[in-house]
Amino acid sequence: MTRWGMVIDLDRCTGCGACEVACKSENNVATVTPDQADMGRAFSWMRVMTQVTGDFPNTTMRFMPRPCMHCDNPPCVQVCPVSATYINPEGIVGQIYPRCIGCRYCANACPYTVKYFNWLVPQWPASERAHLNPDVSVRPKGVIEKCTFCHHRLQKAREQARIENRELRESEYQPACAEVCPTEAIVFGDLENPRHRVQQLKSDPRAMRVMENLGTEPKVYYLVPRA
Amino acid sequence: MREATAAKLAQLPPDEQRLLRPLVHTTSRFYITAGLLGAVVLWGLFAYSLQYRFGLGRTGLNRPEYWGIYIIDFVFFIGISHAGTLISAILRVSKAEWRRAITRSAEFITVLVLGFGAINPIVDLGRPDRLLNVVFHAHLRSPLLWDVLSISVYLTASTIYLYIPMIPDLAIIRDSGIKAPWLYRFLAAGYRDTPEQRARLERIIGVLAIAVIPVAVSVHTIIGWIFAMTLRPMWHSTIFGPYFVMGAIYSGIAAILIAMVILRRAYNLGNYFKPVHFDYMGRLLLLFSLLWFYFTFAEYLTAFYGKEPAEMRTFWAKIAGPFAVPFWTMVACCFFIPLSLMARRSMRTPKGTLIAGIAVVIGMWLERFIIVVPTSVNPRWEMESLGHYHYFPSWVELSILAGTFAGFVLLYMVATKFFPIVSIWEIKEGREVSVKEVAERVGGYLPALAPEHAEQRG
Amino acid sequence: MTQNRRQFLLAAGATAMAASACQLKDYQWSSPQEQELGWAPGIEERKHSVCLVCPGRCGIQGRTVDGNLVAIIGNALHPMSQGGLCPRGVGGVQALYHPQRISAPVLRVGARGAGQWRAISAQDALAMLVDRLQGLRKAKRPERLAVVAGYCAGTMNDLWRQFLTAYGSPNYVSDAYPDGLDTVMELMHGIPRHPGYDLDNARLVVSFGAPLFEAWWSPVQAYVAFGRAPADATARHRFVQIDTRFSRTAARAQEWVGVAPGTHGVLALGLAYILVKEQTYNAAFVARHVTGFEDWTDRSGKPHDGYRSLVLRNFRTEEVSALTGVPVERIVALARAFAAEPGAVAVCGTDVLHGEDGLLSGLAVHSLNILMGNIARPGGVLFGDDAPVAPLPKTPLDGAAQAGQRHRPLAASSAPFGVGDPARQFATAAVEGTASPVEALLLYYSNPLASAQNPDEWLRALERIPFIASFSPFLDETARYADLVIPDVMPYERWQDAPTPPSYPYPVWGVVQPLVKAPAKTMPTGEVVLSLARSLGGSVAKSLPFDDIPTLLKARARGLFTTRRGMTLGDEFERTHYRQMEERGWWLPEETDFEAFWKDLVDRGGWTDLLFEGTDPARLARTASGRIELMPDALLRALKDEGKGREPYAALRAGGVSQSPSTHDYPLRLIPYRASTLASGSLGLEAWLAEQPSLTIDVHWIPWVEVNPATASQLGLDDGTMVRVVSPRGRYQARLRHFPGTAPGQVNAPYGLKHPDGSLANPYRLLDGTTDPLTGLAVWHSTFVRLEPV
Ligand SMILES: Nc1nc2c(c(=O)[nH]1)N[C@H]1C(S)=C(S)[C@@H](COP(=O)(O)OP(=O)(O)OC[C@H]3O[C@@H](n4cnc5c(=O)[nH]c(N)nc54)[C@H](O)[C@@H]3O)O[C@H]1N2
Ligand SMILES: Nc1nc2c(c(=O)[nH]1)N[C@H]1C(S)=C(S)[C@@H](COP(=O)(O)OP(=O)(O)OC[C@H]3O[C@@H](n4cnc5c(=O)[nH]c(N)nc54)[C@H](O)[C@@H]3O)O[C@H]1N2
Ligand code: SF4
Ligand code: SF4
Ligand code: SF4
Ligand code: SF4
Ligand code: SF4
Ligand SMILES: [Mo]
Repeated sequence: MTRWGMVIDLDRCTGCGACEVACKSENNVATVTPDQADMGRAFSWMRVMTQVTGDFPNTTMRFMPRPCMHCDNPPCVQVCPVSATYINPEGIVGQIYPRCIGCRYCANACPYTVKYFNWLVPQWPASERAHLNPDVSVRPKGVIEKCTFCHHRLQKAREQARIENRELRESEYQPACAEVCPTEAIVFGDLENPRHRVQQLKSDPRAMRVMENLGTEPKVYYLVPRA
Repeated sequence: MREATAAKLAQLPPDEQRLLRPLVHTTSRFYITAGLLGAVVLWGLFAYSLQYRFGLGRTGLNRPEYWGIYIIDFVFFIGISHAGTLISAILRVSKAEWRRAITRSAEFITVLVLGFGAINPIVDLGRPDRLLNVVFHAHLRSPLLWDVLSISVYLTASTIYLYIPMIPDLAIIRDSGIKAPWLYRFLAAGYRDTPEQRARLERIIGVLAIAVIPVAVSVHTIIGWIFAMTLRPMWHSTIFGPYFVMGAIYSGIAAILIAMVILRRAYNLGNYFKPVHFDYMGRLLLLFSLLWFYFTFAEYLTAFYGKEPAEMRTFWAKIAGPFAVPFWTMVACCFFIPLSLMARRSMRTPKGTLIAGIAVVIGMWLERFIIVVPTSVNPRWEMESLGHYHYFPSWVELSILAGTFAGFVLLYMVATKFFPIVSIWEIKEGREVSVKEVAERVGGYLPALAPEHAEQRG
Repeated sequence: MTQNRRQFLLAAGATAMAASACQLKDYQWSSPQEQELGWAPGIEERKHSVCLVCPGRCGIQGRTVDGNLVAIIGNALHPMSQGGLCPRGVGGVQALYHPQRISAPVLRVGARGAGQWRAISAQDALAMLVDRLQGLRKAKRPERLAVVAGYCAGTMNDLWRQFLTAYGSPNYVSDAYPDGLDTVMELMHGIPRHPGYDLDNARLVVSFGAPLFEAWWSPVQAYVAFGRAPADATARHRFVQIDTRFSRTAARAQEWVGVAPGTHGVLALGLAYILVKEQTYNAAFVARHVTGFEDWTDRSGKPHDGYRSLVLRNFRTEEVSALTGVPVERIVALARAFAAEPGAVAVCGTDVLHGEDGLLSGLAVHSLNILMGNIARPGGVLFGDDAPVAPLPKTPLDGAAQAGQRHRPLAASSAPFGVGDPARQFATAAVEGTASPVEALLLYYSNPLASAQNPDEWLRALERIPFIASFSPFLDETARYADLVIPDVMPYERWQDAPTPPSYPYPVWGVVQPLVKAPAKTMPTGEVVLSLARSLGGSVAKSLPFDDIPTLLKARARGLFTTRRGMTLGDEFERTHYRQMEERGWWLPEETDFEAFWKDLVDRGGWTDLLFEGTDPARLARTASGRIELMPDALLRALKDEGKGREPYAALRAGGVSQSPSTHDYPLRLIPYRASTLASGSLGLEAWLAEQPSLTIDVHWIPWVEVNPATASQLGLDDGTMVRVVSPRGRYQARLRHFPGTAPGQVNAPYGLKHPDGSLANPYRLLDGTTDPLTGLAVWHSTFVRLEPV
């Protein structure tokens, strides 16, 4: 049984933020005006979160790239009154934009606060429409969106594999963030498939998941940095 | 009012005369107030039209402050709605005779405020146009859906529960012919106050009174659950169901008190809303202020004692952080003020209860605020809360808030122009039957007198 | 792109208002885009190219759909970037489609800088250019044509130089990011090029102020080295960042050593002291390949202190600790670690050179590599070569050209070493004299009004120059002041070559090819130069006999085809395979005929040669003595002429760090740094980057400065307040952010950012103008400022 998941090695991540931008580019994530951004309405499906501790010169900082955790037991899906957010048989938690009524209950239910709401109609300067990715629909206003594990890439890769009737290779389905990461800190694949790197990595002694105690069963693992 | 109607009114017995007068006689003060409220309502509608057109961006909401004023109002209004139906039902069932004068006004509050409660979450939707997806794609595991169900049941139930006991009065109006005969002929549904009709009516009321109680309880429990079912700090708490129900009744009582005082002044119903009513309601308020404190204290102590970091961030934000002012105002309004006032008999007067009532209503609104906002702006993940999150309602939200309040008051006023705000027949019944009945009932409680004494009287 | 937020919004607004039906659409809750785009599956294409956003020159792959560039992905075949990219590279998509881009030549109609333009055809624009230049040349004043270019390593650089030489002007001012490091290498090794650092194989990387993970020559080179190391803890690299600033590099390195500003050199010699004292330096290497270590007596019999004595005398650990603020035990530990690791390398940051004793500090830092013999060996400093492309044809210069060449260039450094800051010198020279020494100025990749340290001088210079043309695809500050703008096409629309920066030790000749079609009216600046040459005729035409840029690139690629080494870019396996073969002295041509080779070259995105012969002595030193010099004669002479009695190395200790002119008016030290999201000096950020320009600080769109919370509270400035940063030289507005990683009394200020309204927030302009007397390079950390709330 396929269970797509991600392992992020915090010992390699340099917090460069390439994953953030690659995600925005791949998924037509809209940018907002300065005042909107200051209001806390900027989108970032992938967000490299930081935590600073200690004062100069004993300062230290942690980086933590944060996509949707694609919980196996997702609180967001439980509470959606119209099943506009759902979990598919391979464990990818998706959104149905045309169905979402914009109640934002899922956003409140998500312990990882990875959901973003379209407060206004997402807009692009005329010239920049050209770079919108046709594989991903742009969102209307008033609906919730979030990281989808670049699900559209899976669909494409599957079709290809089916045409050539062979099974899908690990390298064929890689989300944009994993693809761009210059340090290969993001590893993506099928957590159940022994031929995929994530399958071993997820049981690495350094592996942990965020707020495991909540029982949400995230499918994004982190390898904590070595001292 | 025209002489004809005046004459008709004059022929009626005193209770009718007094209680039906508002239906046919309207002061200019009424029109002015109504006009002002109407203006506010229109302004609110305009504000909403902007929000509808450009999206929720017109509010002050953001990430992670996904819910704001609208949800606060939603919880608040539904809370108020527990005034009528629930209270009057309890009083009916417990055969509290002093209820007779106040049930009607209370039930009206319920039905009207419930409507306004129900529209708030719709106003809060990003896509109101897709509202019906709640039916087409209903996902039964969502507390939001339970809520939709329970609220609609409650609305129907309490509307019926308002209507049925009103039928005899409607019949009276129909017969008096002082106002829109066709309307009241229709509403009175051929009720002729024959003994068996009366008997059937009483039976139905009895059943409804019992049936409606669990519904009412469920409604606010479920609203509490909407929050409690998430894993958010200081939402995820088993106490929320009962806590919300208690709070609801509390704010309900306060609302009735305010309504009573105003009606008393406006339609000088002095000898219907008597000191005893204010005294008793005041006691109720007192009781609930203590309950409120008990629940709140329990809730916060548990959070504090557990010292769970995520919980503590929210906790301190409320107690000593950016939300300290609203928090302590809430405590004052919901506890200290009503307690100190209602503890004293001399204060359980219209004036005293009015002050206490207003305090409680404000306090309970703040309580909703204190529940919704601080948790929202303090996400569970400590790395998230690094960002300095904040929430200032936009003018659109505030206008809609004003609009809904004004709308409610306006409708209530109008209602008093079509329906007797004190149940005529129940008062009558009280006069005719109950006095005797009560004497007997009370007699029934007491030990029977010894026979020889009886003989002596002979 | 000059990010003018207001216009950006206008554009956005315009889109929204499309057909003014938009409001209505809002009512129908449709996202306008969705309808218009109608998501029909399109024709998808992928091509390799190279990112030109910064000097890093990473390999990219463009994903186009129906001729639109929808994504930029890494090129896995590129040996340096190996498929990785930095956020700026990905953001290039938005640079290409930026609303402020100008897609046709424009001619100034109003007064200069008034911003009134008339669109004209490329032909007309060219014609104007031609008769300007013809005129000058006919009038025998070719030297009065000047070209100021920003960073354009590779053929574009050669093209301009060749053109001007043949035309007859010495005034080609190219800002190849001169940072003095090449001077250090020239002095010590006799090799005038930036050192390459073999980060991939280094076990311990000690970076002196070099922002490896932010704005280094090639951040991705550092990322790849840092991130793709073997998984097991033992084989893991260690990165140690020595910096005055708690930068992201410092945050991520395994160790951060916070030092006092401008004392990097002192710390380096503090480490050297321990290596020498504890005899842990590579004595054998020093004995065989190095001079100037021991004391010596010159011909006149005069004794001189060698490196050893100078260091032992002047850099006792306690004293170094006191100067740098680094605890003694950390210095000792670091020195021992550096000695213990076979593959340890000290990376010298550009900014080390931009200090009061910049050059001497540079020598000090690099001397560590020499002491440990980490030169020309794996994990150390490698002096690579450029890709062996065919040179441009040498052609005899005609009379006019020769005459012109006799004039001395306007941009000339008075400092004994290096070229200093050419853009700055040029302006200074251009304002001298009664008549302007420049009659026609061409700006390529250059925006001095925004970037130069002396913008006022530049403005005066421009006022005097009768004809100014810019090739910028954006109306940047200087272009706005030009008479004619012939917008270059964007990097994703043109042919070019892209050699990796010297920080990467192996030559890579990246090929930039068009991923999408350029706007009809635009013209690649390269083609402009070629057609100019053609129209000007004479030796100019002869010197550039190429129909177009692709032909030119092809001609150069023949050099690669014939060297009988290297390979077109290939995957991991191919790379190792080829290296191993070359190590055994084998080389097999991948392609037998040139056309096939060229096609392969373009398809794979370039050429590389990953074999480095460490054995070749020329890779250690090309000095007269054939040895590495710790005490370069030239330097000694220069210091003697200076007459301040400064000794190499020792001087670092004496010449401390500048103090504030008036601690009352200007209490805070300004530490400028380059935000890692910044694509280029004066370009605003693309929307994606501007929205979250910094990871360490939570800011959006608005330029910011970082101050330690304690310092801020002393000043009574809350987090998030807008402040004016004021130095004796200038001022600008920024949002103040509290950041505990900032040293107390310091203001960390990212450069190159702009306000949404397009106004500059440029600490570079506040610099007090101090320069290193030896190199003439601006000092970046000697300026003091105050913060005023606005
Ligand atoms: N992102 C990006 N990268 C680029 C470029 C670009 O436009 N964008 N352009 C290229 C260009 S033009 C150049 S010249 C280079 C410049 O790149 P560098 O000069 O290498 O990087 P900067 O950040 O400008 O240098 C300032 C660094 O010096 C550190 N520093 C602060 N105080 C001191 C001090 O007192 N002494 C020393 N030694 N260091 C100190 C700061 O922390 C900061 O990291 O970057 C190149 N790389
Ligand atoms: N504000 C600020 N000032 C700085 C620096 C800084 O980082 N920030 N850095 C300093 C340093 S180290 C340096 S080296 C200098 C660099 O200063 P410059 O050499 O002037 O480089 P930039 O300032 O990046 O300006 C390059 C200009 O080229 C234009 N351009 C962009 N793409 C293209 C293209 O494809 N073709 C052509 N023809 N033009 C293009 C853009 O309009 C941009 O304004 O600036 C110095 N001054
Ligand atoms: S791209 Fe990779 S290294 Fe950069 S921030 Fe994301 S995960 Fe970290
Ligand atoms: S992370 Fe949040 S949004 Fe993602 S699946 Fe889990 S609960 Fe749902
Ligand atoms: S916002 Fe949309 S997805 Fe989330 S719960 Fe409401 S309807 Fe479901
Ligand atoms: S998986 Fe895809 S959608 Fe999720 S963060 Fe990465 S790029 Fe974005
Ligand atoms: S480092 Fe420079 S060249 Fe490489 S991707 Fe980033 S911007 Fe492009
Ligand atoms: Mo530079």
